[in-house]
Amino acid sequence: MAALLRGLRAGRTLRGLSSGKTGPTSRVVAAPSAVNPQCSNLNRGFHRAALRLQDESKSDKPPSSSSSSSSSSTTYHEHYQATEHDTAAEASQHDSASDPAAEQPERPNTSYQDQSGEHGEEYETEEQLQSRILTAALEFVPLHGWSMEAIAAGAETLGLSSASTGMFYNGAGDLVLHFIAHCNSQLTEILAEQHKQVQLGQAEPKKTADFLREAVETRLRMYIPYIETWPQAMSILLLPHNIPDSLKHLSSMVDDIWYYAGDRSTDVSGSSLNVRPTTSQMNWYTKRAVLTGIYNTTELVMLQDSSPDFQDTWSFLDNRIQDVVNMASSAKQVQSTGEAVVQGLMGAAVTLKNLTGLNQRR
Amino acid sequence: MAASMRLLVRRAVRLSHRNITLTAAGAAARSGCCRGPSVCRCFSDEAEDRSTHFGFETVSETEKAKRVYKVFENVAQKYDIMNDAMSLGIHRVWKDALLHVMHPQPGAQLLDVAGGTGDIAFRFLEYIRLQEERQKRRAARSSQTPSWQDISNNYSTEDESRESRAVVCDINKEMLKVGKQKADSLGVSAGLSWVVGDAEELPFDDDQFDIYTIAFGIRNVTHIDQALQEALRVLKPGGRFMCLEFSKVNNPILSSIYDAYSFQMIPVIGEVIAGDWKSYQYLVESIRKFPNQEEFKGMIEDAGFYCVKYYNLTGGVVALHSGFKL
Repeated sequence: MAALLRGLRAGRTLRGLSSGKTGPTSRVVAAPSAVNPQCSNLNRGFHRAALRLQDESKSDKPPSSSSSSSSSSTTYHEHYQATEHDTAAEASQHDSASDPAAEQPERPNTSYQDQSGEHGEEYETEEQLQSRILTAALEFVPLHGWSMEAIAAGAETLGLSSASTGMFYNGAGDLVLHFIAHCNSQLTEILAEQHKQVQLGQAEPKKTADFLREAVETRLRMYIPYIETWPQAMSILLLPHNIPDSLKHLSSMVDDIWYYAGDRSTDVSGSSLNVRPTTSQMNWYTKRAVLTGIYNTTELVMLQDSSPDFQDTWSFLDNRIQDVVNMASSAKQVQSTGEAVVQGLMGAAVTLKNLTGLNQRR
Repeated sequence: MAASMRLLVRRAVRLSHRNITLTAAGAAARSGCCRGPSVCRCFSDEAEDRSTHFGFETVSETEKAKRVYKVFENVAQKYDIMNDAMSLGIHRVWKDALLHVMHPQPGAQLLDVAGGTGDIAFRFLEYIRLQEERQKRRAARSSQTPSWQDISNNYSTEDESRESRAVVCDINKEMLKVGKQKADSLGVSAGLSWVVGDAEELPFDDDQFDIYTIAFGIRNVTHIDQALQEALRVLKPGGRFMCLEFSKVNNPILSSIYDAYSFQMIPVIGEVIAGDWKSYQYLVESIRKFPNQEEFKGMIEDAGFYCVKYYNLTGGVVALHSGFKL
């Protein structure tokens, strides 16, 4: 994908060279009114010719093409605009619009300058740009909710026009899914860091129940800044076309948590001694299903929790995990009791047979 | 040689009675001359002699611009009525679909090139007005009773926020005149400007507009790649290029119905309603000469747009292409 873009751009620069066009696709439009009166009519033609030569020599090296140094292209644009003032009568009404717009393109250009591409896109794929826009949009979510307006505001902080929101065909769904993916990756980092600490011996390994509790709490705490608008986000996730993606994120998160807790598995169904293959598979599914249930119910409780620092939610979480642990141990007890009962019945049957003389061989 | 033969054929056709022979002549002309203009273009090098297509005819590039100007000068008064009659009103659906895909945010600046009678610009302003109303209603609902501070803020920020603007640019003064009359009768005046300009050389500075649209106009442009480059120039970073244009129908059944309708009915309607057979003959022929969806998408990507996508409307009769300047 990036290679295709690079190829396209190389083709374009070559075409630009051959057709002798001198229009650099620089985004720097600086029109400080102080400089314009300085360029007199006499010097204008000379300057323009000189700059065009300068530009052509610059564009001879394809990678560092016309917009590589903002200073020369800035002055070129001032002159270009000076000619535009003469030719277009209606240009005057657009100048006022260009001044506030001039500041916005300034910022992204300076950050891409080092990479010496015509557009910064050369060293950034479209997906990366989209994720940058969505990350910037997150800070506007408390104001606009999970919607296209938030994405538009985010794009504007990056210096892009609000029309670039058209790239997100799923609209608000894209924003919510991006946020969830971001939270999941953060959680994975935290869990990996803790795991490393345990491996290095710098921290005590935690019991499974505690581990699960802390992991779920860490993950849910990431929602706290957006808790006002979270019901809207959940409803967006439930839309039919978003369900596959949201389920995928949820299952990968639960999988990650169990992976990092996986060293000590409390066998939820089946004791460790009598584990049969089918039971161990059921074990994997059961664990994840149970954790999914805990996570979803805790999330719902968190939505309507108004206690300080969500204390009610965390105690709810505690209780649910405790339930699961109890169920695990009671399942084990049931199984051992069952086995004992069966042995007892077998013994009783043998005794009866002995008494009635059925066991004797004649 | 080929051009004169074509003219003879057409004149003979018009002398005889039109209906059935027209389709045959149209088909013959189409198949016979498709190779003609490309051959002519290969052999001629000077700019003045470089030829291009004007419908199914081959003309020099300078002449094409003049003839296109005359076509639209003639049809300007009856343009809207003819649109409704020819497309059976479906063109409104197409233009609404363009706005729906565009989904402009309040504060956006639109440039509508070859906008003529201003259909897209009016729809744009209406869409933004509804969006702003919806936002105000949402804000009012969320804040139960606005405090004195909120009320005073509302009064002061009304002028500060960027007002959305639509600029209609057209090479043809007659079309703009009709558009202005429509605007006056609709009572729309705020945020609307009318500019005379050539799509290949726009009279605007760089990085001016959020959205650039060209609806059913780009096939009339002599150098399409120049128009695309101008579009790239005047758009802000992150700006969107949108083009609504007639395109190739892939379905063979629909295609044959569409061809029959185009070559048989449309010039007749043109003659009856607008009194101009030749202009509408040019119209249907220019549709056939325009590149298909994939080719045009390639041209847009070559000009430097990213995330280029197209949507087929009405089975490919109309295609909506969209690209971003990133």
